[in-house]
Amino acid sequence: MSRGTLEFNVFSGGFVRFDLDVCTRCGSKACVTACNAPNLACVLKLDNDVPGLRMTPAEAARGGCIECLACELACDTDGIGGITFALPMPELDSYLHDMEARGETPGFKRT
Amino acid sequence: MAKLLEFQAKRLLRSSGISIPKGRTASSPHAAAEVAGELGGAVALKAQIAAGKRGKAGAILFAATPQDAADKAGQLLGRNVLGHTVEDILVEEKLDILQEHYLAVMSNPETQTPTVIFALQGGIDVEEHAASGGVGIATFNVDLTDGFRTYHALELLGRAGVTGRALPALAQMAVRLFEVYRKYDCMLAEINPVALTARGPVAADARINLDDDALFRHPELGVEEAGEVGERSRTPLETIAAGIDAHDHRGSAHFVQIDPDGSLAASEGKISIGFDGVGTGVSLTTLDELVPRGFLPRNFCDTSGNPTASKLYRITRVILAQPEIEGYVFVSCLSSQQLDNTARGIVKAFKEIYPGGQPNIPCVFCFRGAWDETALEMFEQHGISKSPLVRLLGRDATERDVAVAFGELHSGWRASRMEAAQ
Repeated sequence: MSRGTLEFNVFSGGFVRFDLDVCTRCGSKACVTACNAPNLACVLKLDNDVPGLRMTPAEAARGGCIECLACELACDTDGIGGITFALPMPELDSYLHDMEARGETPGFKRT
Repeated sequence: MAKLLEFQAKRLLRSSGISIPKGRTASSPHAAAEVAGELGGAVALKAQIAAGKRGKAGAILFAATPQDAADKAGQLLGRNVLGHTVEDILVEEKLDILQEHYLAVMSNPETQTPTVIFALQGGIDVEEHAASGGVGIATFNVDLTDGFRTYHALELLGRAGVTGRALPALAQMAVRLFEVYRKYDCMLAEINPVALTARGPVAADARINLDDDALFRHPELGVEEAGEVGERSRTPLETIAAGIDAHDHRGSAHFVQIDPDGSLAASEGKISIGFDGVGTGVSLTTLDELVPRGFLPRNFCDTSGNPTASKLYRITRVILAQPEIEGYVFVSCLSSQQLDNTARGIVKAFKEIYPGGQPNIPCVFCFRGAWDETALEMFEQHGISKSPLVRLLGRDATERDVAVAFGELHSGWRASRMEAAQ
C-alpha cells in the first residue's frame, strides 16, 4: 500500500515534498538526522519509520522550517532521493528564457 | 528611495490643489499628436524617466502642431536617455512663463527636520546656483509639532525676497507642497521650476521621492518597492533580487549591479566577476585586493544577518546568471552568522545549475566564522571542491589570500581556454 507523501510549504515560497514510498526503502533516514542537528530547526521526526513533522504543516510554513536545506542535501549524499525541496524563481526563469531568446548566454551556461 | 515619475508626482500635487499644466501621457507618436490636438497650441513633450537634467539631455522637446508633436514624440520614444529607455512621454501645454522659482520640501539629515527651500531663481542649474552662495535662497526647518503654516511660508518667501502679488499664491503653494510631503511620506517633494504665469504659479516640473520604509502605507500609489538604484532604474536582475528580500525578512540579500553590462570592466581593461560577501566591510576590503589584480565585480552583494539557506540559493542563482562573468568570489567576515546554512544554499544552487556541481568559471569560497568548518565540508561532501576551478579557504585566510587564490585560478583557467582555442 502506498505511503503517499509528506508535503508542506515554506515561508519564502516553495515547498518540501517527501515521497514516503521512497523514504520507506531508505536505510539511513539521513534527512531526519540532519534536521535534528544541534544548530538546526528540528522540524522532522521519524514517524512509523518515515519522515514526519514535529509541528503542523501550517506552523512549518510560517517559519517553523527554517529552510536550511539540510534534509535535501543529506538525502542527496546519504539517502535515496525521496525529497524535493522546490524554491521556485519564476521571474528569474522568465529572465533567463528571454535572455537566451535574444542570443545571450547566462554566465553559468558559458562554454 | 522610490522615485515617482514626473506625471505621477504631478498627479499628487494636483490632488492637493497645486496647479499643474494641462496634459497627459502618451506612449506613441499617434497618441502624442492626439493629446496635442486636444490641448491646442504649442506643447512640451517630456520623457518620463527617473532621472534629472532631462532638459540638458535633450529629453524635453517642444512642438507647435499635432504633426510636429508626433514627429518629436518619435524622436523621444525608445531613445536611451541617461541610461533609461523612454517608454512614455508627458505631453503638456507649453506655458508662457514670466519668471521661474524653486520650491522644495526635503528630509534634512543635518537638522533632522523637514526643510522647506525656496529660491528666487529656479529652472536648470539651481544646485550650482545654490552651491555658489546664490542670493534669493531661503530655508525653513519645520517643527513637526507646529507644522508648516501660511505665516511660516510668508516669512520664508519674504526672506528670499519675494514681494508683490505673487506672494500669497506662492505661500499657498508651499503649504500645499508640505501637505503632499507629509501625506505621502516623502523624502523629497520638489517643484522646479515653479512657473509664474498669468494664471498664477504652476508646477512646471515636479520630483517626488518616497521613503521606502513607508511604501506599505500607500498602496494607492501602486509602488511596491524602490524602482531605482541611485540615479538609474533597477536592472531586471536587481528587481528579481529585491523580490527575494521582499518576501523573506530573515537576513539580507542586497544585490546591486555595479557594472550591469560589463562596459566599465571593458573600458578599464578589467575582468568581470560575480561577487558575494557576508558583510559590507569584508566585501570592500576584498575588493580592495581584487581590483588592483585586474578584477572588477559586476555586482555587489551582501548576504549577512543570518539569511536562510534558501535565500542564499536564490541569490547565488541570480549572481551566476550574469553574462560573461569570468569568476565568482564568496567571502565572509568573521561572522556569527550560521555559515553552514549559507553554504547549503550555495551548494544547492551549484548542484542545480552546473552538471555535477562543477562550475565553468573559477570560484573561491572563503568561510570564516560560526560553523565555518561545517560549511567547508559541504563543498567536499557534494563534490564541488573536486573541481580544479574551486578553491576553499577557511578562517585563517585573509582577504589578500582570497584575491591571490582567485588570481591563480583565473590565470590557469584563461590559459587552458586559450590552449583549447588554438
